[in-house]
Amino acid sequence: MKINFNKRDPVYVQVVRHFKEEIATGILEPGQEIPSRRELAAKLKINPNTAQRAYKEMEEAGLIYTEGNLPSKITKDEAVLGAVREALILQAVDTFMTTIRPINVPLDEVVDLIKEKYTTETNGEGGGMGD
Amino acid sequence: MIEVKNIYKKFGRKKVLNGVSFTAEKGKITCLIGVNGVGKTTILNAIMNLTPINHGEITMGDEKISDRSFEKITFIPDAITMIPSMTIAESMQFMQDFYDSWNQKRATELLGFFKLKETEQISDLSKGNTAKVNLLLGLALDVDFLLMDEPFSGIDIFSREQIADVFSSHLVEDRGVIITTHEINDIEHLIDKVILLDDGVVLKAFNAEDVRENEGKSVVDVMREVYQA
Repeated sequence: MKINFNKRDPVYVQVVRHFKEEIATGILEPGQEIPSRRELAAKLKINPNTAQRAYKEMEEAGLIYTEGNLPSKITKDEAVLGAVREALILQAVDTFMTTIRPINVPLDEVVDLIKEKYTTETNGEGGGMGD
Repeated sequence: MIEVKNIYKKFGRKKVLNGVSFTAEKGKITCLIGVNGVGKTTILNAIMNLTPINHGEITMGDEKISDRSFEKITFIPDAITMIPSMTIAESMQFMQDFYDSWNQKRATELLGFFKLKETEQISDLSKGNTAKVNLLLGLALDVDFLLMDEPFSGIDIFSREQIADVFSSHLVEDRGVIITTHEINDIEHLIDKVILLDDGVVLKAFNAEDVRENEGKSVVDVMREVYQA
């Protein structure tokens, strides 16, 4: 786990965002144990108070849960997991929109380009042979 | 909590501190920032009761800072403090003999953490390793507060990274840290509180996460506003 932090967003927000990305992409699986606050701080080279804050936010949002003295785990709640994935997709689309809109490309052309790009890149990844 | 209340200090006719106030809590990293000669080291010396202040008060918990404060607070300087002919092991022994609060287990762990060789002589150490030995000797004491004077000053990037790692590790535990620096880059993500000093006064004090959250600004953005205003 490594994060390239930007300097203007709260560090805890960036940590939560990173967890959401890893959950949405399946790197972190439902029910998977996550590092302790101390371990996370050392791993990400952040202040332990910040790690604590990030976990508190995630706990309140239902992204992680803690039973007794056991390590915290990623939620198994389908509704929460679905919402995380959806939010991530919407965010990516929004980012795309803000860059593509000013160029004034007809929608059909954009959709075709996306389709083309999407298939090539998926194939490229699946084949794994490179050029 | 260490509370610095409206302290003044003159050296001869030169006024170094002109009413400095701030607090530093346990479990938090408080960073004193300012160009060289702004009185950062004088503040640390005053907290250690090493230099008498002309006016104001410094308290820890409910008590005024005294000659016994070294039992609860440690000062980690930026220069060689041990006898140059000693080895690292001898320096550690020296500290153990002198301080009741010496924690040998943590000291041994710190040797590994900083990748230092016990047999090396103080006089042979690079600037980076000198800084690490100073930190080792200070961090190994079971005290409530650690005062670090310019731990990143003039040393190589890898040593700086190693030292920065101390702050995210368990080696600081729940103790309070007051660190002085004029180079914020190495620790921008690690500090809780920022105290910006100039001309012997506090220009601004804030929580790093708060200005990111509420104003969308980095610590350096705020510094630019304050110092270049």
